[in-house]
Amino acid sequence: MTSKINIEFSSISKRYRRRSILDGVDFALRDGQCSLLCGANGAGKTTLLRIMAGLEKPDHGTMNTGLGEMKWRRCKRALQQKVMYLHQHPYMFDASVRQNIAYALPPGSTPAIRNKCIDQALEWADLKALATVSATNLSGGETQRVALARAWLRTPSVLLLDEPMANMDQESRLRTHTLLWQLKDQGMAIVITSHDAMQFHSLTDRQLLLKDGKISTESRHMRAENVSTFPVGKTHRHHTA
Amino acid sequence: MESLNSATFDAINLLLTGDKQLWGTIGISFRVSTTAILIATPPSLLVAFLLAYGRFPGRRLLISVFSTLLSLPAVVVGLTLYLVLSRQGPLGDWKLLFTQSAMVMGQIALCMPILVAMGHSAFQAADRRAWETARTLGASPPRAVLTVMHEVRFGLFAVLLAAYGRIIAEVGASMMLGGNILNYTRNIPTAIALETSKGAFAQGIALGIVLLLLAFALNGLLHYFQGKGRFAV
Repeated sequence: MTSKINIEFSSISKRYRRRSILDGVDFALRDGQCSLLCGANGAGKTTLLRIMAGLEKPDHGTMNTGLGEMKWRRCKRALQQKVMYLHQHPYMFDASVRQNIAYALPPGSTPAIRNKCIDQALEWADLKALATVSATNLSGGETQRVALARAWLRTPSVLLLDEPMANMDQESRLRTHTLLWQLKDQGMAIVITSHDAMQFHSLTDRQLLLKDGKISTESRHMRAENVSTFPVGKTHRHHTA
Repeated sequence: MESLNSATFDAINLLLTGDKQLWGTIGISFRVSTTAILIATPPSLLVAFLLAYGRFPGRRLLISVFSTLLSLPAVVVGLTLYLVLSRQGPLGDWKLLFTQSAMVMGQIALCMPILVAMGHSAFQAADRRAWETARTLGASPPRAVLTVMHEVRFGLFAVLLAAYGRIIAEVGASMMLGGNILNYTRNIPTAIALETSKGAFAQGIALGIVLLLLAFALNGLLHYFQGKGRFAV
């Protein structure tokens, strides 16, 4: 993989009380690259993702977001602009599916453009039938699709997903997988945490194992070998106006 | 029992016939308390949010201070502001004592601890993912704060009702800072105290009925919105 480095994290350390969670982790996010982060419960996968999203401050370490060295406050802002983090159970605002997706649009655009973009996102994630339903009443798979539609609309350069297919049935997994493929094809750097490496085998370009606070194993495999494992739908572009 | 019945009948009669003095007192009460709650709410909710979501030295101490101030007696607020606003006080030149402005100041001092302490609890009860999701979706901090407020709107509405109920029914501060001047600073609680001391129970009962109806109306409103439950983000 020779794509350009988007964000680079070096020697990231984090302790909770006296327990070391991350101990000098190095991590580079490349455009269009999908990384799978594996590890046991409590290994620090979520903590690492939250640091990468600018939601948690590391005790030590540096981050290069392409804007040179900066203090955490500025770095956090830069990360929050570039990175989008999806919780294991994505949060849905107490509003309709349509309004939840609309939240990802930057304020300022005209209502016509907004409506067009939202309609495209709804179609992309196959959520048109649920547009007016309250987003807090959706199933796990539908919630994940709304979260991915928001990501599709916001188009961050990095997308972080914490156990995106936990507690999902086979059909929902397949749909989520297809949407993730399309986001990857748009050039997003994607990091996924999971206990089950096989679920994302065809999607990921590299697998990392987080153990004892360090990334101990890195295996790469060719994405092309596995492309046929999951169907890939048509990729829609948006923000046409 | 008979005198209570006739006083209640007279009270209802006063309310229905639109007694000018009675309705003037009610108007002053609503004007002063509504002004106080409108001024106090935005900064108080912001402080409540910062106490719930911020991490800074002295945060726990501030939470304890606001929680302690919840039980602040109205007369103590009245006395303190009386000393500050009286001629010899540091703000004596402003000539605010025995005005509606002084009453508003007293009521702001009374409702701010309620708004901050109970608002803080409402924000803490919110799912933290709401804030994180808003930020990760590119919302600016002010927009993310408004989003979290929207998520806990029923809790915050209950906080507002509690604060409003406290200030519209308080006597001590209004009496000391307003002076109970007819058609100017006489509000419902000070009027009830005065009319009762004169033996004019009908006026007192009529004003009491208004306070009760207000409580019913505000609670009804809260339940209506809780049942309806959908606002735009």
